[in-house]
Amino acid sequence: MTTDTKPAPETMSKQARRAEWLRENRTRLSVIAALVFILLAALMGLEPEDRFATIMQGLSVGALTFLVASGLSLIFGLMDVLNLAHGEIFMLGAYVGWTIYTRFDTALDVAVPLLLVAAPFTLMPLWRRLAEKIRQLDVNWHGALWVVALAVAYVAWFLVFARSRADAPDSGASGFVITIVTLVFATGLAALLWRWRHHRSVGETAGEMKLTAWSFFIVGLGAAVVAVTKFPLVIWDAEDFAKSPSNFSVQIDLGQLAPLPPDTFGWPTLMAFAVLLAGGALIALGLSCFRTHAGELIALTGRHWAAFGGMLAAAMVLHLGKVSINEWIFGLSTTWRFFLAMAVATGVGAAVGAFIEVVLIRPLYDRPIYQLMITLGVGFILIELVREVWGRPEFTMARPAAFNGTGEGCPGEGLGGFFSGCSTVEVFGSRLRVYNEGFIVLVGILVLIGVTLLLKRTRIGMVIRAGVQDPEMVQALGINVRRVFTLVFAMGSGLAALGGVLAAPSIGLSTGMGAVFLLGAIVALAVGGLTSFPGAAAGAVLVGLLQQIIIRYGQTGISVPFLDEPFKPSPTVVPAAAILLMVVVLLVLPSGLFGRSER
Amino acid sequence: MTAPTMTDRTGLTGWLQRRRGVLITAALLVAFPFIISIVVDGQGLAAVWSNEQGNARFLQGLAIEVFILALYALSYDLILGVTGLLSFGHAMFFAVGAYVVLIAALLQAFLFAIVLPRVKGITFALVTLGFASVFWIVIQSSDLQEWAGAEIGLQGVEAPVWFLDTTNHRFAFYLVSLAILLGVFVLYQRIIDAPAGKVFASIRENEDRSLMLGYNTFWFKLMVLVVASITAALAGAMHTMHQPIVTPNVASLAFTVTALLIILIGGVGTLTGALVGAAVYRLLQFYLDRWYGAASELLIGLAYVLLVLYLPYGIVGTWRARSLRIKEGRDRLLQMVTGASKETSSPEE
Amino acid sequence: MSLLQLAGIQTFIEQFHILEGVDLEVAEGEIVALLGRNGAGKTTTLRTILGLNPARSGSVVFDGDDITARRSFDIAAMGIGYVPEHRAIFADLSVEENLRIAERKPGDLARKEEFIFGLFPDLKRLIRLPGTNLSGGQQQMLAVARALVADNRLLLIDEPSEGLAPVIIEQMMEAIRQLSSESTVLLVEQNFIVASRLAQRYVIVEEGRSVKTGSIADLVDDDETIRRYLGTGS
Repeated sequence: MTTDTKPAPETMSKQARRAEWLRENRTRLSVIAALVFILLAALMGLEPEDRFATIMQGLSVGALTFLVASGLSLIFGLMDVLNLAHGEIFMLGAYVGWTIYTRFDTALDVAVPLLLVAAPFTLMPLWRRLAEKIRQLDVNWHGALWVVALAVAYVAWFLVFARSRADAPDSGASGFVITIVTLVFATGLAALLWRWRHHRSVGETAGEMKLTAWSFFIVGLGAAVVAVTKFPLVIWDAEDFAKSPSNFSVQIDLGQLAPLPPDTFGWPTLMAFAVLLAGGALIALGLSCFRTHAGELIALTGRHWAAFGGMLAAAMVLHLGKVSINEWIFGLSTTWRFFLAMAVATGVGAAVGAFIEVVLIRPLYDRPIYQLMITLGVGFILIELVREVWGRPEFTMARPAAFNGTGEGCPGEGLGGFFSGCSTVEVFGSRLRVYNEGFIVLVGILVLIGVTLLLKRTRIGMVIRAGVQDPEMVQALGINVRRVFTLVFAMGSGLAALGGVLAAPSIGLSTGMGAVFLLGAIVALAVGGLTSFPGAAAGAVLVGLLQQIIIRYGQTGISVPFLDEPFKPSPTVVPAAAILLMVVVLLVLPSGLFGRSER
Repeated sequence: MTAPTMTDRTGLTGWLQRRRGVLITAALLVAFPFIISIVVDGQGLAAVWSNEQGNARFLQGLAIEVFILALYALSYDLILGVTGLLSFGHAMFFAVGAYVVLIAALLQAFLFAIVLPRVKGITFALVTLGFASVFWIVIQSSDLQEWAGAEIGLQGVEAPVWFLDTTNHRFAFYLVSLAILLGVFVLYQRIIDAPAGKVFASIRENEDRSLMLGYNTFWFKLMVLVVASITAALAGAMHTMHQPIVTPNVASLAFTVTALLIILIGGVGTLTGALVGAAVYRLLQFYLDRWYGAASELLIGLAYVLLVLYLPYGIVGTWRARSLRIKEGRDRLLQMVTGASKETSSPEE
Repeated sequence: MSLLQLAGIQTFIEQFHILEGVDLEVAEGEIVALLGRNGAGKTTTLRTILGLNPARSGSVVFDGDDITARRSFDIAAMGIGYVPEHRAIFADLSVEENLRIAERKPGDLARKEEFIFGLFPDLKRLIRLPGTNLSGGQQQMLAVARALVADNRLLLIDEPSEGLAPVIIEQMMEAIRQLSSESTVLLVEQNFIVASRLAQRYVIVEEGRSVKTGSIADLVDDDETIRRYLGTGS
């Protein structure tokens, strides 16, 4: 039996405690000192007028990296999931923000069907109750449902994929594909019929119920997909849509896509509305059929109906008032549109994060390596999705008006110049860009303060900090820790998406932007100590500074002994420096600069 | 009931018996181009050797790609599936082979080995990711344009010997790559069956326990890394011979993910799975790309996610689990029939 | 009526069959000791009650409600407090936060403060310190105190005396005796002397089965049972 070895803290003198702390953190302190020394030395080596600008640029990149790293750090700390899709959520945020900012009409258009499909999810207690009823049904009901589901899936596939591809230039394969897929469906039908005939009783085995759940899900999804293609959307009208650079216009230009003839999406609006709603309801019902909710049925209250009605009304208003809303939005200044883009992108990022956590991460908590693999896959899918939806992979985004002034009185002078509306400002003899070195840094600092306050001052923050150490114990105190997981995942994803919008006007949009910042964030995390939130912030700043210093030296060159010419690193090798920093720090201090060492 | 026939497990017949699967596969694959040539192209047997254009030649090319991918995935399976080391730097192993030479493969394995004793688990994954990213960035950078061709990559590498010339002697190259793949496969199986293989598995299950049992796990992990690194570099070198252009993408994280995807499809830790997975992956990719164009990447991503969620043991893993269950059921049936109550004692906690 | 009732509990952890039939009953207001050798399944029994390792078959009934399939946080919120083995306090949180996080409704801590600091006067002094700075005994006190913040009718206490100095064990025993006036206790204890001085009844678990139960006063004199199920004699 071990005895109580650790002396009570109050019995130790202050000096003894300090000495002990110093001894324990010897390596850590020397590494920090060495890093600070190197950074200072590097800064001193620069021209005096470059120094301040370099620091500010470093902070700017650091702030963007921090927005990605903060979520990554919280998610890893709380759930032990290194979300490798986090960079892609950053990228998605940028694309969503771009759409709100430059093509609000398309975003509005897509919002209507999305709202309609999502609305039935507010009535979840109803679907769960219904699912329990279905569980009791006779097997013939289940069997009939399976067959209907298969038929709907086939029709949906045929209507959406097979037919649109039939117009494509490479139509030789279509006939073959249709045959194969039809055969697959036929085999599926036979298997289902066999299962129906040789069923075991539904109550006893979960298999039948699972098939039923899938059936509802597939029918719902099929209905929704077909209805969307029949919905009068701007993007279906190739001529209208071609007015701005985006997917379809580019594809039409290249002759890769024959636009659907106008009469193919000629459903009456009400019918499209109804089918979308029904599709959403069936998807929700299918999801609630997957597992039993017998113990946790709650009553449907007025609040559920209010949420449902609200979403329906919003969809209606958006659809009917489309023209005037668009006019109003495009009449706003770009600054306001930019703030709107920030808000919407953060929201979309949070929603996508919550979806990923609930649907993909949650079933795998007992298989950690698979979680890592699935986040890799999600990142891959997000990139391809963006490529499919936005078509041309690269865009630029104009800076909002408040940060883009030129002419009279510009550039601004001193700190006040940041609010002059000019695009650049002169501070301490350095020329800075107000947006990049002012606004981005400001948002970064605000987020840092906000999240720190949330963690330190609120109950949910306390639960998060406790959950980082021992989620099971938090659960045992009566706190629904899974809900906290989802919340943190959503929050982290929202912050990453916010970072994406912020980055878009300064670095432009590309499908590769996520990977770059994810790498930076991972480095920041590893350097700062994987689960330490302040560590992630410090690491992000360090990464940003290091990169900017190296870029600056790339212009002037570093005189290396034994080389005649100064060594000029090219911009492409800049990320390599940060990664080398990570590798070195991890080798010396596997738990990072601020992380808790392994017990 | 008769006792199961005892097979002679020694000597040449024994060897043939044990390697039955590999030998049959080899025979079928050697015959494959001839069959295609006759049945599909309507050309003679000699056409294969004389490198005529046609389906046979084209499919050989595709098959060679499968072999290379399989070799590459096999080496990743040794690291991840058998030994349980999650490395995100595997593409670097392949790319080093593609860009440089085999000697460098040894060097980089040692580079990873310096890291090994210090970091574990996720940190090891991050450090390997770091190494590979640096390598990827460096070969793409304009600083090394003369040697690595920056973002375009390597072009027109000349074959050193005639049987590695994929344009003019495709069938020879086909045979060579097949031989290398199956040779490495047999070698890997031997390694796993050997005592060292047991240590790899125990490192995967519980490294601390293997340490306590007195194994210096470092040397075993180093050995795994060296073997895998050389194998992957070999695959990379063959890739350079086979493809007219080698792009820096073979060093990217996405290419490590390819290895991961292949062994997931086939079944992690099964070795055979790497071969099956490579075939399924490459053929699926090829035909999806043909039918759906750019959307094929999206479909592959979706397939990957669904695999992780619903078929985590892959094709071979699931198949083995199923046949094991069938065997179990048969044994239980036999027991009931013969009335033998051979209750197995439950394992200790 | 009994407050907690376990019948035929079978629990697996991964593929390992840990509990192979545990039955036990705890009546309102008593202290029941769960005894048995290392690895017999005592801790797993507590975790099964809380749903941390859900039972594959059998039933757990708490206060008349079947809680076998409920989720852990629901079970805990019904009024079950848990003091896990090895303390498991939140090291990064201060002592006060460690207590506050256990609140189920605002004001819980304020109401219980007097009672808790009456049991563990040390904690009041250390209230601002982070949990990591506490000594082992103080951590154990904090872990018990944390379970007292909310109105728990049943406390599951796992090895409260493990790794503590004898004088602290005395203090801890006194505290448990006092808190048992407020709630019912199911106690896992390796140290038979501690268990025998605290509990009224015992349940012995052996290889995942509950094998014997009775009054602890009878067990003290039953050297045969003690030797057979608990290893060394007392």
